[in-house]
Amino acid sequence: MAAAMELWQVGALFVGIAVAGAIATRVGLSVIPLYVLVGMLVGPNVLGRYAAEFAVPAGDIVTILAEIGIVLLLFFLGLEFSLDRLLEARRRITGSGLLDLGINFPVGVGLGLLFGWSLLESVLLGGIVYISSSAVITKSLIDLGWIANSESEPMLGTLVFEDLFIAIYLAVVAALVGGSGGLESAATDVAIAVAFLGILLAGVWFGGPLFERVFDADSSELFVLRVLAMAVFVAGIALAIGVSEAVAAFFVGMGFSSTDHVERIERLLTPVRDIFAAVFFFYIGLGTDPLLVATTVGILAVAVVATTPTKILSGFYSGRIYDLDDRRSLRVGLGMVTRGEFSLIIATVAATGSGPIMTQVIPAFAVGYVLVMSILGTVLMQYSEVFEGILERRKSETTG
Amino acid sequence: MTVYESDLPGVGKKFEVELNDGSQLVIVIHNTGKRELYLRESPDADSDKLFELSDRLSRQVGTIMEGAYFQPIRTETIDTVLSDDTLIEWVKLSAESPLVGKTLAESHVRQRVGVSVIAVQRGDETISNPEADLTLQEGDTLVVIGGQDACREFQEYATAESSSNE
Repeated sequence: MAAAMELWQVGALFVGIAVAGAIATRVGLSVIPLYVLVGMLVGPNVLGRYAAEFAVPAGDIVTILAEIGIVLLLFFLGLEFSLDRLLEARRRITGSGLLDLGINFPVGVGLGLLFGWSLLESVLLGGIVYISSSAVITKSLIDLGWIANSESEPMLGTLVFEDLFIAIYLAVVAALVGGSGGLESAATDVAIAVAFLGILLAGVWFGGPLFERVFDADSSELFVLRVLAMAVFVAGIALAIGVSEAVAAFFVGMGFSSTDHVERIERLLTPVRDIFAAVFFFYIGLGTDPLLVATTVGILAVAVVATTPTKILSGFYSGRIYDLDDRRSLRVGLGMVTRGEFSLIIATVAATGSGPIMTQVIPAFAVGYVLVMSILGTVLMQYSEVFEGILERRKSETTG
Repeated sequence: MTVYESDLPGVGKKFEVELNDGSQLVIVIHNTGKRELYLRESPDADSDKLFELSDRLSRQVGTIMEGAYFQPIRTETIDTVLSDDTLIEWVKLSAESPLVGKTLAESHVRQRVGVSVIAVQRGDETISNPEADLTLQEGDTLVVIGGQDACREFQEYATAESSSNE
């Protein structure tokens, strides 16, 4: 698959992304499923079958650009993650976060075991179906104006909890999947990951003033270069010694979160992140064979049917923890259904493992799952009034 | 007036301002600098988006709202809050005010209620740091600074009709 690419092919990749983005905006869908879909169509598995010379190959360069996309996605997550904020609202965030984790993660693991997968494979499935999409949900909240309503608080609060969990989760599964098997080597890998992340965490804890000074550049150009260099270099070193680059990037982002640079980074680097993140989703599409996705349609159907109601349920009771009424609690549930970028990141971790389930079934399943859930979740939010109406009618029937 | 502030992780901050008619004004400030304004008719209602402004535009609108370019002093008093307990207050003197005809020194406002007169607006003219021998006239607007209670007391005193006071 890895191949040298010519400039026009990289150009074609960006044309594909631009077209996908335009279509998504036109039809009112999230951009993520469209990037994946268009990537799949112009990639080696669809266009490549008919006209290989025009298809966009998933070359080394795309892999690297996509990796930077993962790094920047997680870097921004860390940047917006604030330990103080988590502690401030800890009763509610912890309550709704644990509820969300306690219901959705075990369902995913249980499904994996039901399919006859190994424990590690099932844990990967658990992560994929557990984690909601911060990017898509936040965007929908803004588009629908829910951001100004009280239902946005449990949703964003739960996402903060999920983000923290996923950072720890990725660190552990990346070590386990990358390990050569055997309990002892697995333990060593996890120990290296923990040690490296411990050093990073210490850097985050004590490095605030240093970050403040080193990145205090007058010119926007120098500033962007330094931040990008820091994030990509640290993440790259992590990957080189077998630690999840995504988690390292998360910690680097956290290091910046307590400095005065947050606002400037968000203003200047958001477009940079969007470019690389788009390449990441497109890359996922390039590597996906629709025929392979079709073979997972059975488990896909089971997973969609099983994990849509569980998210609605956990979301509904999260709303209750925030003292919302039935209607708004239902909205929280409907909104949390969307899965997206993190499920795909977990799938790329799985793809580095061994055995047909990790290298083929899980990545193909994750793409199908994210396509279905991101569209389903967005639609559920757009038509939430229908469900709210049903809820109201049922309530008036039981009371009257 | 109550203002609720809450964080919107990954988005920005939200401010909810309770208006007099029971509705709420919701201001969402995005990390990108964009401001969105919503109106919520009642606490249970959904928020209706009014409009959105860029960072630059909302600063300009904010300055206009604050009254930096035009302060209508048709009402007897307006005030600007400096901190939790310190106000700058504008008080217009009516013909009945006990202060009319007295000089600032004679009025003893600093000793009586504990506010300082920092300016007197007379017609189009603003007399800043007025001298103690300035005689106050009907229609003058006194700009005073002081604590919240002192300002309220001064306002009552300065606008009171001579007969009802003492």
